[in-house]
Amino acid sequence: MKPLRHPFWQAVAILVIAYLLIAYGIPHLPQLVGMESAPVPGSVVLQYMVTVLVGVLIWVSDSDERWNRFLEPVRATMVDGDKRWLRLGLLIALPLLVGLLAFRQVRQTVAAPPSLRSIHPAPPSSITFRGRPLNLAGLDNPLRADGSVAEDYEEGKRVYYQNCLPCHGDGLDGRGHFAHGFTPAPLPFNDSGTIPQLTESFVFWRIAKGGPGLPKEGAPWNSAMPVWEDILTEEEIWAVIVFLYEQTGATPRTWAEAGEGGE
Amino acid sequence: MRRSASLAVPFLAALLLAPASLVAQDAVPGKAEYDRWCAGCHGVDGKGDGPGATTMMPRPRDFTTGRYQIRSTPSGALPTDEDLTRVILDGMPGTAMPGWRDHFGEAEVRDLVAYLKSFSPFFESQPAPEAMEMPSAPGADEAALAEGREFYQKIECNKCHGEAGRGDGPSAPTLEDDDDLPIRAADLTENWFFNGGGSVEEIHERLVTGLNGTPMPSFQDLIAAEFMTEEQLWRVAQYVRSLAPEEPPVVREVVRAGRVEGDLPASVDDAGWDLAERYYVPLVGQVIVRPRWFSPTVDGVWVQALHNGSELALRLVWHDPSESPDPQWDEWQSKVLALMAPADSPADASPDTAAAGASEQGPLSGSQADTTAVAAASPGASYPDALAVQFPRSIPDGMERPYFLMGDDRDPVYLWRWESGQQASELLARGLARYEPLGGSQPGALVAEAVFDQGEWRLMLRRTLDAGGIEDRLGFEPGRAIPMALFAWDGSNGETGAQGAIGSWYFLYLDQPTASSVYVTPALATLLTAALGVVLVRRAQRRARNDA
Repeated sequence: MKPLRHPFWQAVAILVIAYLLIAYGIPHLPQLVGMESAPVPGSVVLQYMVTVLVGVLIWVSDSDERWNRFLEPVRATMVDGDKRWLRLGLLIALPLLVGLLAFRQVRQTVAAPPSLRSIHPAPPSSITFRGRPLNLAGLDNPLRADGSVAEDYEEGKRVYYQNCLPCHGDGLDGRGHFAHGFTPAPLPFNDSGTIPQLTESFVFWRIAKGGPGLPKEGAPWNSAMPVWEDILTEEEIWAVIVFLYEQTGATPRTWAEAGEGGE
Repeated sequence: MRRSASLAVPFLAALLLAPASLVAQDAVPGKAEYDRWCAGCHGVDGKGDGPGATTMMPRPRDFTTGRYQIRSTPSGALPTDEDLTRVILDGMPGTAMPGWRDHFGEAEVRDLVAYLKSFSPFFESQPAPEAMEMPSAPGADEAALAEGREFYQKIECNKCHGEAGRGDGPSAPTLEDDDDLPIRAADLTENWFFNGGGSVEEIHERLVTGLNGTPMPSFQDLIAAEFMTEEQLWRVAQYVRSLAPEEPPVVREVVRAGRVEGDLPASVDDAGWDLAERYYVPLVGQVIVRPRWFSPTVDGVWVQALHNGSELALRLVWHDPSESPDPQWDEWQSKVLALMAPADSPADASPDTAAAGASEQGPLSGSQADTTAVAAASPGASYPDALAVQFPRSIPDGMERPYFLMGDDRDPVYLWRWESGQQASELLARGLARYEPLGGSQPGALVAEAVFDQGEWRLMLRRTLDAGGIEDRLGFEPGRAIPMALFAWDGSNGETGAQGAIGSWYFLYLDQPTASSVYVTPALATLLTAALGVVLVRRAQRRARNDA
């Protein structure tokens, strides 16, 4: 008796291996390239398993001989006298399993409504800073004009540690000691998807106008980002922008990269 | 002093040609990383006076004193290199010091430790500190915890940490560190915020070694004096660990109000609450609009909710060591205000609020500059404890909702506000500073009942689901996700107005009555599957008999 030579047990083995790969193997893939991972959603697992099952059925029914051998253990379980207890057990267990799955589908479950938030919404072409108009399109950090940022870095560091630190953190990783209190979580500047993708004028806009200055697609009502023009001067904001890029070793997106007219 | 590009080139050339001594000075191991990542709080000279220091309570460590809290060495002694390494890697939970495990490599941490030690002359002048030998932990059981409790009293842990361990002992308001700054007795029920880690072994190490520079002593001398045994000190550690839950609370976005048949729990400590699910909502300082607040007392609220189809009741439980106003805490309040108020002095920037005019830019009123009109707490005054629950004025259909910081002009929030010693009130809020009453004492108005018990507030708020036809008053509808946010104030910590603890939007969901289909559908599915199975088996057996 060699079960693995038998098409029925081969089919079972394929299904088990497929399940393990989908449910437990796939979540490890992003980690191999250093990305964050999450469990595979149940609906996706189901979809993949149905695909695998159909493939297996096509394979076992490919030839009459294999199909008949495949059905042997199934028939034996249904017919043979020495398998009556197994038969009875399956007749009780399978319907109960189906009932449980049905219950999990219909019971009352509660999930927060989805929040479809744009993380880097399109900036306006101009804003007012403390009542003074400021054209964002094509705007560069004026502190870089003199060729050196060493002093501006120090000033930006002071501004950052006195204002930004509680949320964005010492490591600029968005994990300050107050970060856990806010949803959405504070932006991690050391993430390649944040400030390296943005022009300094975009960052200026986000700092000056904060959460309440976001357009609706940015969910302004949720953001804990202050309206910094109420607290910081224009020079302080440009200095802290220098600090963000210098400290993370990132370079701002240039207007040439961004194309005409913005992000 | 602005440098020009023409100056930069010769400067760079000079650096490259610099004599060896200058290079060596630049290359003090650990200095570059320290200046870049640590000096913002601890200061370039290690005095704990970096620009970030004024926003922190407790203040960052002053490395020049050689005084370190988290050590494996005897009371008063210097820490070992391993002790310093551990704090750099794991941080100090409950403070602004993060763990740097993901940031620094092994060699960098070694250099940093050496550099930190160079700030204090004591590491040079004193023999190398050695870790104390710790006796191994005895097994714990009920009797062990009872003995731990007994010694918790005998060695007077309760004097500062309180009878229930909530940091509310009679001495708690008077505590100062060696720099005469106010310091809190740890809330022993929240071991995830213990500065030196929350495991039994770490708690035991703190009991043995004490926390240098703080009022927390070492209890090793009580063992030497045969007042207690090594095992009994372990019992205290085990007891203290038992005051906190197994795991830190998990934050969930949706607070579910279960549906009960008949009456809601009659009081805040009614046994009817025992079965209601508990949800944890973390709170942090209000660091968004001036006057900001960097050192809130309340770090989270436990929420339970129940409804019966006509009324909704919330039970809110949070820790606060003082039942404000409490004259015993007056001095604490003035010390905290003296320490923390300068963190937000608007001296360097004086925004012209009238000209700020951010409102035309976004959908929210934007600038909350009008809250700058809120007075910060003044040292002489006394304030109550307070809690606020925010809701939108009506359940939103889309994702839009009011600004989480108490709404604004365009979209105010519907607010429940409770203050110690007063009845709760229903308000309409247009930002942190602007409230107006809503409704009155009509039937079905908000009712509150609060109990203060050993450093814990327990508050029940109850209201009818129906809005009663009052404009801007939210009607609660089962089966809908209703935005909800919580704010809390500790009056004795000088918290009032904009200065307090705040949190994000969560959702309150009132369960609908269970539909009969929830029971019928699974039963039907089970029966049908069973019937199908029996038919298939019968047919197979009949065919087998015929074949035979």
